[in-house]
Amino acid sequence: MREPLPERPTASDAGPAAPQPGWQPNVVAMVCRWCTYAGADLAGTSRLTYPAAVRLLRFPCTGRMNPMFVVKAFEQGADGVLVSGCHPGDCHYVQGNLHARRRFATFKALMEFVGVDPRRLHFSWVSASEGTKWVRVVEQVTAAVREAGPARPPAGGPDSAPPADAETARRPASAEELQALAERLRRVAGELLEQQTASIVLGYTRGTLPDRAVPGFITRPEQAQQLVWDSGCHHNLSVYLPRTRGGEGKVAAVVKRCDVATVVGLLQERQLRRDELHLIGVQCDGVWEGDRLAARCRACDGTVPALCDVAVAAEGARAQQVAVEPDPRDAAIAHLETLSPDARREYWQGEFERCIRCYACRAVCPLCYCETCIAEKHRPQWISPAIDATGNTAWNLVRAFHLAGRCTGCDACARACPAEIRLDLLNRKLARVVEDRFDYRPGTDPAQAPPLTEFRDDDAEEFIL
Amino acid sequence: MARIGVFVCHCGENIGRTVRADEVAEFAKRIPGTVYSADYPYFCSAPGQKILAEAIREHELTGVVVAACSPQLHEPTFRGAACQAGLNPFQCEMANIREQCSWVHPDRDEATAKACSIVAATVERVKRAQALTPVQVPVTRRALVIGGGVAGIRAALDVANTGSPVVLVEREPSLGGNMARLSETFPTLDCSQCILTPLMVEVSRHPQIEVLTLSEVEEVKGFVGNFKVKIRKKASFVRAEDCTACGDCVAACPEAVPNEFDMGLAWRKAIYIPFPQAVPSTYTLDADRCLNARLDSETGFRLLACVRCSEVCKPRAIDYDMPDEVVEREVGAIVVATGYKLLAGEPAAECGYGIHPDVVDGLEFERLLSASGPTGGEVRRPSDGKTPEDVVFIQCVGSRDPKRGVPYCSRICCMYTAKHVALLKHKLHDVRATVFFMDVRAGGKGYEEFVQRVAKEERVLYLRGQVSQVVKRNGKLVVHGVDTLSGQAVELPADLVVVALPTGPIRNERLSAALRIPTDAHGFFQELHPKLRPVETLTAGIYLAGAAQAPKDIPDAVCQASAAASKSVELLSQPMLQREPTTAVIDDTHCSGCFECLAVCAYGAIERNEIRDRRGAITRVVARVNPAVCEGCGVCSVTCRNGNIDLAGCTEEQIFAQLAALGPAPPGRDTIEETDEGAPARAADRV
Repeated sequence: MREPLPERPTASDAGPAAPQPGWQPNVVAMVCRWCTYAGADLAGTSRLTYPAAVRLLRFPCTGRMNPMFVVKAFEQGADGVLVSGCHPGDCHYVQGNLHARRRFATFKALMEFVGVDPRRLHFSWVSASEGTKWVRVVEQVTAAVREAGPARPPAGGPDSAPPADAETARRPASAEELQALAERLRRVAGELLEQQTASIVLGYTRGTLPDRAVPGFITRPEQAQQLVWDSGCHHNLSVYLPRTRGGEGKVAAVVKRCDVATVVGLLQERQLRRDELHLIGVQCDGVWEGDRLAARCRACDGTVPALCDVAVAAEGARAQQVAVEPDPRDAAIAHLETLSPDARREYWQGEFERCIRCYACRAVCPLCYCETCIAEKHRPQWISPAIDATGNTAWNLVRAFHLAGRCTGCDACARACPAEIRLDLLNRKLARVVEDRFDYRPGTDPAQAPPLTEFRDDDAEEFIL
Repeated sequence: MARIGVFVCHCGENIGRTVRADEVAEFAKRIPGTVYSADYPYFCSAPGQKILAEAIREHELTGVVVAACSPQLHEPTFRGAACQAGLNPFQCEMANIREQCSWVHPDRDEATAKACSIVAATVERVKRAQALTPVQVPVTRRALVIGGGVAGIRAALDVANTGSPVVLVEREPSLGGNMARLSETFPTLDCSQCILTPLMVEVSRHPQIEVLTLSEVEEVKGFVGNFKVKIRKKASFVRAEDCTACGDCVAACPEAVPNEFDMGLAWRKAIYIPFPQAVPSTYTLDADRCLNARLDSETGFRLLACVRCSEVCKPRAIDYDMPDEVVEREVGAIVVATGYKLLAGEPAAECGYGIHPDVVDGLEFERLLSASGPTGGEVRRPSDGKTPEDVVFIQCVGSRDPKRGVPYCSRICCMYTAKHVALLKHKLHDVRATVFFMDVRAGGKGYEEFVQRVAKEERVLYLRGQVSQVVKRNGKLVVHGVDTLSGQAVELPADLVVVALPTGPIRNERLSAALRIPTDAHGFFQELHPKLRPVETLTAGIYLAGAAQAPKDIPDAVCQASAAASKSVELLSQPMLQREPTTAVIDDTHCSGCFECLAVCAYGAIERNEIRDRRGAITRVVARVNPAVCEGCGVCSVTCRNGNIDLAGCTEEQIFAQLAALGPAPPGRDTIEETDEGAPARAADRV
């Protein structure tokens, strides 16, 4: 017979970690079989001793270790996780550890950003001849985890939310300017359909709310008159592209500068074919929600990228020059980074706790194109479908990690989220990590390989023991 | 329903001293899914293995956990025993409670608790282990050798002598490579052609070797044991079967061009045989130098301005319409022996190489020394044919020079320079010879003795120093250098200067791309492991021989050639190749075709699979694993965002179950035991 579940401890009674007397930390070590596992064997053959807290899991290669396994280990109650493999150049599979180095560098940044105590997650290179190093690493890791105390269930606290975005000096483009662009856009779209260059045009049409355009699918030249262009054209229409078939003609889409970046991502990942696509780039002075300029627009000049087949832009001098301002998301990230890991964890748990798992973030994301999502995979179950701290945290982490090096910051997810979770900050943080570490900015070059499919021999590894 | 047996070994005192094995066995009995457990002093002993086998039969076990030493030691033993008792070997796993438990944790309670936890996790792993059978790959019993130099020749002969057919592809009109150009070889000073040409003839007469000269590999498809290779046989415009090698055509040909075989120091005709002992011994019409215009590279000449060779050819062997031919061969193994060339860079120009005709490189000097060379073996300088009185040899002209040349040591120059000095002195007793060197590296059998003998007996000045430039003054070359031992500047007159240029790779991007094998920073082909797998490459079934991998002298090149041949034969001698079944597995039902898996695979094991509808139109392009090539690293599995790639033998289901078994029950989660295999056992709850 099932016993009733014990009360879930809350943040207050879990309190600062107060280990029970005799408490032993539980450290899971995921190691590769060729180097670290053999190094740990050598420590044994050499009769060295180290803390018994560590339990080894043997993998063929660090390249096999999905960062989500770490999330899983924490879910299952590990107090600390160690990932260890071969030194660069020693990999039995030549480069598995170099791929792992990039993945885990990115993943570690994510974990730290959501407030996982850095003392709980460690990485090392230990070769088959480094029995003594293995002992040193285990001692160091166990001591750090012991200091961090028993892992406790996450609990939310709303107090550390980032401050509101700074005021913008920019003003919406004038109605005349927008009107002129809209007319030009209608003409271009009409001609494309008339000449049968395109058989469908994805654009914006008038919706029921005054400041919000809705997506429109135009297939006849006369319908082109329904197209609108104003500062309410929020949607990233590229989300529809992979599943829109043009038949005989191409699929044309109205794209802003930010949308083009996701189209580039889709081209890179072979979800679109350039020759089946006709991009109508429209000059954009930013999209507004009431009197608030969208965060992603602040640092964007809105010009039409060269990738577009046709540019719809203002002729002659423009009434207002677009002033590029600092991205307010960066200020919010900077704020969160000033907090202690615990406070950051509480903030993010507070965010994740509101998640209702509606997956709207996934539905609107152009790069979440998988037909079936890992979140729906069972046997084995990667992510608990339960709407609780465990399931919500796992979902939000996997979503963010899957977009690392790919997300172009269109913020469609954050806009769609009914719980107003700051998904944009998670995405933006990882984009900056990828840019800083791998010198890669997503959505710029369709011929470029995604950063997590590549590596450089000299990728930074300051986080690896 | 899983029926797992757990066998806890005491390993005498080794485990038993700190881990209470009987307690671990008792604990194991309570893990859901285990139906049998036992402890025993030595399970690896014959009686121990018998207990295991009997338990498998008697209790109809579906999985076995041997809690003992490291799997690196006895996994094959126990998997073998389990296999003999009728279990799939992959359903037997080891729990390492010796190296990673009893030997490293002195506290009995801690060690026993940890052993229980390791056993629990391993039981969960075995419960979910699939029965795997080795991947069987048919093998085409034929080898391809690319390059007909001494390494390629040796490899071809070694493979062919085991009875396997060999296709030997050579780019030039004749076999022989650089070795055929050499006058004598160090340290024995035996004639190079005298030892090489018998091998060339043996290759051409060997019933198992097909020699394709004037040919290049264009395309390599397939994988280990099953390569399909396209080879372009360039037109020689002379039908080999008709040519009698009489040489009448050469006399008739009006067009003279520098002879590559003599390093451009002599002339040949547009129709030619590279050297008298060439194999095959037929003439070749050099389409680029013949007076007849060639409009289309694949279908012979179009406009005939000169037919003199054809007119004098009695057997009518000349065919101006001969097209290139592309032949296809199926092979199981490939040996790459494309050799080396000398690299002339900035340091060479400073020494006057390429500027003054009397500054020659090592291979040019070989031809000047050779009895079959342009001077008939008399050493005369190229500019005016005068016999030199002062000869200066300069070592490391670009080698060991990371800034302006190559950082590595070219390995052969110290030895061939000593040989050059010896041969020069034998021919011209009174010549003054000076060698500028950095260090003399003579690490080979009989090498140091040879250098010492030359330096002592041949009255040569070995000067430790560097040369800054070679200039021409009053009709004579002047070598400006510095003696680095004394620090003094030196100026030496010279009639002939021999520079030791770096040995570099023959960069052939197309070949490298076709073979899918990487090159190192300098362009040499990369071996799989610098020490332990020096002839294998990243692509299974492709092996390296000779200077294509790194600078090598003849003995080392031949040695590696035989090693590559032996590796090839190892592969070709099996009718079916057995590969580990622990490979990536793709469920392509939900593959979205982003091909990030393909991008990260180092082995080219992932292919694009086009799924077509009934009318043959492509509906989807999805990823597919070729299990014959997959090495089972699992790097691809992590790229797949919706989890369609798993790794046999280390599945995600197994990993999650192990993680669950290792952790304590997190607070707030239920800790109810279920008796089916869905609920992982938690060690911490029970000990």
